[in-house]
Amino acid sequence: MSEAQFDLIVIGAGPGGYVAAIRAAQLGLKTAIVEEQHLGGICLNWGCIPTKALLAGAELATQFKHAGQFGFQVSQLDFDIQKLVQHSRQVSAQLVQGIDYLLKKNQVTVFNGRAQLTAKEKLEVTDAQGNSQALSAPHIILATGAKARHVPQLPVDGTYVWTYKEALVPEQLPKSLLVVGSGAIGSEFASLYQDLGCQVTLIDLAKQILPTEDAEVAQFVRKQFEQKGMKVLTDAVVQSIQIENGQVHCVIETANDIQTIVFERVLSAIGVQPNTTGLGLERLGVELNPQDFVAIDDYCKTNVAGLYAIGDVAGAPCLAHKASHEAMICVEKIAGVANVHALDRSQIPGCIFTHPQVASIGLTESVAKAKNLPIRIGKFSLTANGKALAIGDATGFVKTIIHAETGELLGAHMVGHEVTEHIQGFAIAKYLEATDESLAQVIFPHPTLSEAMHESILASMQRAIHM
Amino acid sequence: MSEIKTLEIPKWGLSMEEGTIAQWLIKEGDSFNKGDEICEIETTKIVNVLEAPFAGTLRKILAKDGETLPVGGLIAVCAESEVSDAEIETFIASLGGSAAKAPETPSEQSKAETSAPVAEKAEQPQSVAASAPAPAKVAKGDYAVPESLQGYQTSDELFTTPHALKLAEKHNVNLAKVSGSGREGRISVQDIQTAVRAAGGQWPDVKQQTQAKVVKSTADDSRVPATPVARRLAKQWGINLNDCRVSGTRGRVCKEDVEAVYYRNNPNSVGVEQSPQCAAQPQSTVTTVTMNGMRKAIASRLQAAKRNAPHFRLVVDLNVEALQSLRKQINETVPQVKLSINDMLIKAAAAALIKVPEVNVQFDEATQSILQFSQADISVAVAIPNGLITPIVKAANQKSLAQISDDMRDLATRAKTGKLQPDEFQGGSFSISNLGMLGVKQFDAIINPPQGAIMALGASESRAVVENGNVVVREIVTATLSCDHRVIDGAVGAKFLSSFKQFVENPALILV
Repeated sequence: MSEAQFDLIVIGAGPGGYVAAIRAAQLGLKTAIVEEQHLGGICLNWGCIPTKALLAGAELATQFKHAGQFGFQVSQLDFDIQKLVQHSRQVSAQLVQGIDYLLKKNQVTVFNGRAQLTAKEKLEVTDAQGNSQALSAPHIILATGAKARHVPQLPVDGTYVWTYKEALVPEQLPKSLLVVGSGAIGSEFASLYQDLGCQVTLIDLAKQILPTEDAEVAQFVRKQFEQKGMKVLTDAVVQSIQIENGQVHCVIETANDIQTIVFERVLSAIGVQPNTTGLGLERLGVELNPQDFVAIDDYCKTNVAGLYAIGDVAGAPCLAHKASHEAMICVEKIAGVANVHALDRSQIPGCIFTHPQVASIGLTESVAKAKNLPIRIGKFSLTANGKALAIGDATGFVKTIIHAETGELLGAHMVGHEVTEHIQGFAIAKYLEATDESLAQVIFPHPTLSEAMHESILASMQRAIHM
Repeated sequence: MSEIKTLEIPKWGLSMEEGTIAQWLIKEGDSFNKGDEICEIETTKIVNVLEAPFAGTLRKILAKDGETLPVGGLIAVCAESEVSDAEIETFIASLGGSAAKAPETPSEQSKAETSAPVAEKAEQPQSVAASAPAPAKVAKGDYAVPESLQGYQTSDELFTTPHALKLAEKHNVNLAKVSGSGREGRISVQDIQTAVRAAGGQWPDVKQQTQAKVVKSTADDSRVPATPVARRLAKQWGINLNDCRVSGTRGRVCKEDVEAVYYRNNPNSVGVEQSPQCAAQPQSTVTTVTMNGMRKAIASRLQAAKRNAPHFRLVVDLNVEALQSLRKQINETVPQVKLSINDMLIKAAAAALIKVPEVNVQFDEATQSILQFSQADISVAVAIPNGLITPIVKAANQKSLAQISDDMRDLATRAKTGKLQPDEFQGGSFSISNLGMLGVKQFDAIINPPQGAIMALGASESRAVVENGNVVVREIVTATLSCDHRVIDGAVGAKFLSSFKQFVENPALILV
């Protein structure tokens, strides 16, 4: 069997893998990428993108609800969830084609099949027909991502008990849905299904929903969820489930009691686990970290010569943009590009596309306090923002955490309309180490939602104008 | 201001290590302004003029014309006239160590000079300003307003340009005594200059002022507060941030400040349009590939090597079975290491080069001498698109197999991405070229000048060999050593090959 030689091979074509491959090719390396299923990975096919397509539908549903405020009388609303799913799938398909084009344009060789490491610097790709091809390269990057985590008390069957995959392609809208786990995935689906007209119950064993977010933000979002009719249970667990007559009977234990509640469907969103099996990692002696992700150094190198790992498989936060950034770091370090900096986790923004949206970067108030940092907090409510009132969506706020002595922006937490589009402003400021003073001097355009960011900074300096 | 300052050999480029004083342009006792030309300094690349980084008076030249000093070496001491010669001498003496830093400064001579009588200094001609009536010692380019014109005062009657008003205030000029030549009698800086000069004073040329010699700082500017854009522009345009005014927020140099320096330095840089290129090319069935820099370098260097170096070649077969099994054992048991046969052959060659150092040489044609090295810096030929390059595994004899392997992985990758630094592929004391992975059985390589020898390695393959009268199958690599007979003789080459063979066939020896 002849062996195809490359300078660099990437395993997995998600937002980490395809970015790594394109960057490597740009830098002059003969590059290949191996993908078992779809180019674009979970992000494009079963994650970020298709959920956003569905959420656009939910957004519309919300707008119809408030149409009267703008003088529109919407008398009869028909909703066909199949059409919405179709839109979502079409968007994914279109983007996958785009990735194919980009890889071709950059002369990256694409192998369709499953990769298995056979030795250091060597792997074998087996396609769906069972044909094998041996490849070798001095640099191999693992970008195999992660998949839904499972627990025995919540066995996923794909019909009554879903993971995000089934939740993306429902045949019809269930009347009731239990979402287990209130992280980004769980909360987004809970919000989406509630807005589309399903009765959703969101449950988390933590004391707050959105456990990684600032407590104030989480509390606010919970209130918004409850206002639209969602039931939210925290400090609660699903003990067991039983399927009877096409219904899921769930035994739920809260701090106070144990009760059985019946749902039409259950979505398990209790986290992800890395795709590390069946890759031949054991054969090469690849070290995993205590959370079972592949252990890497500052520049994504594993303990095995010539083997690297990026994105979800290399550890939390499991975010597409973190994977893409690691791809750049890893490849540029390999290629010898000057001034490559290790990933700074405080610079990774997080976005949750619930309604209202949540976006954040840096430290939460409680983490900053736990670190004994001297902080000043600025907060500004969207109810005092002209644009937010004009568009009829003034729920939310901007909270900024400033180092009391240096003026450094330590963290920013936003809730409200399109805050996911605005957080980059704080990301840039953080990257450039802007201080409260420099941000205060920036001219924010009027009338925009982003003025709330400015006011929040001013508020941290006791200088807010519109409050 | 009784401060004593020094002038040193500046660092004009990354590679600049030393400079030679070509000529002093001012004499001891002369005063100068910031930006005035002080002396010419010659480097290996250019002769450049050292411009004064500050204003002052040259008191003592420490490095005469023709002397060579390292970067940072002291060349002169400057101080105002109120600083006594004794103080200067004490200062120079206190430098002690620093003076020694300038190795070629003849200390005897320098001592003799520092003890020169004060009177001699006084006789030194004063600056140009001495010809002007003003009694004070005024440097060329300074301001000296005669008493008759002194006495700045504001008045509503006065009509001046803002700049003129500012300068008048600064230099105490009585504007009532200056007649304006502008519209409605507006007084310009030019008018003040004319008046001051007419009264026998000194006022630097206005035009000259704006077009004055560009002042370029050489000081480290990494700590100058600047916005990210400003820092990047400054780097791009070779502008030292110390030379920029500071007008950004929080005392930072901002984009406009850097641009201001750029446009001052390049007054004609605005709006240079490029003429459109003619697109049509004659059609031809021959594809012309223009040789790039690397191609040309390969062509000329190897042509020269083939023409100038009398090559002779020695061939040896190596049994690599022990080497292969050691490699397998290491690769299978240590995750962190992935050795190639080539990595191990580099190590074996390094060991042999230390044992037979007569092969670890460069030929210095200019001085007709052979440079023998104490460590094996092995250049390894790496094929890259449209050419080849020979990154160096430095001190391969001192490195472990794992280190050599890591070095090679990194060097070969960066060779392909074009990110090797010059010192990573220039030099080397020996070369290895391996075409084994391409299935080549044996070949001759051309010496990589100024090195004395290169080894060409073929593929590892099973061959029938005779051992103790029996034909047996062994894993064999054929190695061919090309030597430059001007510096390496046949027997020496043979000795090296035999040592190399011993290391390859007894690989335990390369582990210790």
